[in-house]
Amino acid sequence: MLKSIKPKGRTIFLYLCIPVIWYVFSVFIPLITAMFYSLFEWKGGPNKSFIGITNYVALIKDSVFWISFSHNIYLVLLCIVGQVGIAFVFVLMINSRLVKLKGIHRTFGFFPSTVSAVSIGFIWMMIYDYKRGILNWFLTITGNSESVKVWLNEPSLVMLLVSIPLVWQFIGYYMVILLSAISSVDNEIFEVAELDGANAFQRAIYIVLPLIKNTILVCITLCVAGNMKAFDHIYTMTEGGPGTSSMVMAMYGYKISFAQMNMGYGSAISVGIFVLSLLVIGGMQKFLNILMKDKGVA
Amino acid sequence: MKKKLVSMLLCTTMVATLLVGCGSKTEEAAPAAEATEEAAPAEEAASAEEAEAAGYEGEISIMHFSTSEESEGNGGSDGFRTMIAEWKNENKTVDLKENVLANDEYKTQIATLAAAGDLPDVFLLQGMNTKAWAEQGLVMDMSDAIKNSPYAADYKEGFFTPFKDADGKIYALPALTGGTCTAVVYDKQMWKDAGYETFPTTWDDVLAAKEKFAADSIDTIAFGNGGKWQANSCYMSTLGNLYTGKEWFESIINKGGAKFTDEAFVNALTFSQEAFASGVFNADFNAITNEDAREYYIAGDAAAFIGGNWDVSYIMATLLADDEEKYNNIGFATLPNPADATAATNSQNIGMGYGVAINSKVAEDPAKLAAAINLAYKLTGADFSNFVAENYALSGLTAVADVDLSAFDQITQDFYNFSYVDTNPCEIYDSYVNGAVWDVFNTGLQNMLNGDEEPAKLAADTQAAYEANY
Repeated sequence: MLKSIKPKGRTIFLYLCIPVIWYVFSVFIPLITAMFYSLFEWKGGPNKSFIGITNYVALIKDSVFWISFSHNIYLVLLCIVGQVGIAFVFVLMINSRLVKLKGIHRTFGFFPSTVSAVSIGFIWMMIYDYKRGILNWFLTITGNSESVKVWLNEPSLVMLLVSIPLVWQFIGYYMVILLSAISSVDNEIFEVAELDGANAFQRAIYIVLPLIKNTILVCITLCVAGNMKAFDHIYTMTEGGPGTSSMVMAMYGYKISFAQMNMGYGSAISVGIFVLSLLVIGGMQKFLNILMKDKGVA
Repeated sequence: MKKKLVSMLLCTTMVATLLVGCGSKTEEAAPAAEATEEAAPAEEAASAEEAEAAGYEGEISIMHFSTSEESEGNGGSDGFRTMIAEWKNENKTVDLKENVLANDEYKTQIATLAAAGDLPDVFLLQGMNTKAWAEQGLVMDMSDAIKNSPYAADYKEGFFTPFKDADGKIYALPALTGGTCTAVVYDKQMWKDAGYETFPTTWDDVLAAKEKFAADSIDTIAFGNGGKWQANSCYMSTLGNLYTGKEWFESIINKGGAKFTDEAFVNALTFSQEAFASGVFNADFNAITNEDAREYYIAGDAAAFIGGNWDVSYIMATLLADDEEKYNNIGFATLPNPADATAATNSQNIGMGYGVAINSKVAEDPAKLAAAINLAYKLTGADFSNFVAENYALSGLTAVADVDLSAFDQITQDFYNFSYVDTNPCEIYDSYVNGAVWDVFNTGLQNMLNGDEEPAKLAADTQAAYEANY
């Protein structure tokens, strides 16, 4: 950069202060205060009483919290395969020479991720609806009326059913990220591989994957982080029901804090979500690094 | 140089605003505690002044959930909005700042503001929050204001119960309209065709009728519990009363020794599990809300519907506009008694779930307090009651001497008589106790009605939450 137009270090620092301060106030301070409040018995209002780590002891013994955690993990695994996995396949398909109108595929693929979560929830509720839903209608006209169910009232299926809209919505999002990563790779590499006789599957695993490894890692991290705090779709569709069959951690924290007015314990749950998310994201990255090394991807 | 100066200035301003914004919160917390101590003497002064709003010049903030959408067809909301408009007109020196939210958002926001000790001057307090918020010193004791109210003689005492603490102090003036939370709405013609002149009074007859309706693939009763609260407010609270009688719930409220694990209550749960498994209700009752379920009734897919007065107003308004014949066939009934439920009959739970409450901090300024009390009188007093009686055949906190029903059609009159005259009132469970208990109960109830949890376990879990939190 030309020296004459390069801003002074101090100017850069001051401009950077704005987002940093914003970040500190919207993320860091609430985190610290949640840690502080989690040490109190606080049912809302000005009175709190210090109870040390009692909330955390209760959290460790709270079966609903751990059920919610297992639902989050289920969601994370399903969404890594569903969102990032399917997005990767779609990207390869769109990038292939056989596909026409790439721009349209990209736009329509990305479209669902621009719709608000509440609308997505309502759309899928209509699909699952017992009397007027498209799913039961389809089952009936294809002669499978014995499989007609009150879908969102099936404890064993409900987690899968509320995950599908989440997967559907975000495929396009990861598709766009992966597409941009692939387009930055020199096309000659793919052409050479093709000339050398590598089939589509081999090209995907041994050439594309290693070249965009870092982007995939970012996608998976985003996917894990996003699903550890999943809330809105599920809240719209089931509110965690039936019972706690589709309860996730963030919703449980919300219920405890605002429906049960137990702010102290609610804060402890938030801190629990934070710690568990860090562990899961960290663990996932370690695991993927090992996995990629085994594949010869360094 | 100039640029640098400007950017420096901007940055400092921003940091300063952020710090000030943060600082003010902590500052506010301190006076809140003082306010509770001061509340008592200031309030005496105010009530002595006979609470005249005139003389106060300034701002009063009010938060409520009577949105303009809500007020269309809903008498309580319409009345509430009308009273606010009239009061503003009568008190031009007061700058009334309204914050109106839909009910669901209102509940979350008011809980957040309460937690932060930052409630508006005047707001609607939910019965079940009364004790906890009063203990925290968030709401003002309004016992004297109620005693000195110009409408004191006409207040219906029973409505105050959810807003009292253990010492009998009252923290709010019950607002909006007293409406039933459990009404059976049925289509007289459909039941006549099935061989019943009126809705059955015993559960066995309902089961028998189910066979006939099922043959035409019609649901006997539509119900929606997708939000988890409906089965509590609009079903269990009345059905429980049929099994336990009123004393049991009074004892729960006063911690008089009654338990959720008592046999009568467990029997009520057991019956409910069987009832919902019997096929009388729509199969998707746990997946849809009351808003969806009432559409089943309106569309003729169900012969009856169970819901609260808000559902009844919606059904009446919709049918009146679209299908007058079906409108004229509307009948109202109470829940039929199961064979082993003998503690009460002909019951429906009715009450006023919200009351106009005043932030205890308002007491620091006697003139402002007087204006706030005057506003509370207006919102719950004779003007309001007359308005809803004349326009909607509904009833508020203040008794209206002669309600002239002749101007209303037969169905509206029937609903008035169902709500206020012909039935035995009982309490709405979740106007009392607190959210911590009901959240546990509602979640388990949804499971239990699906058949996935034993009634005894639900009773034990609820009892544990009750002992730990109430």
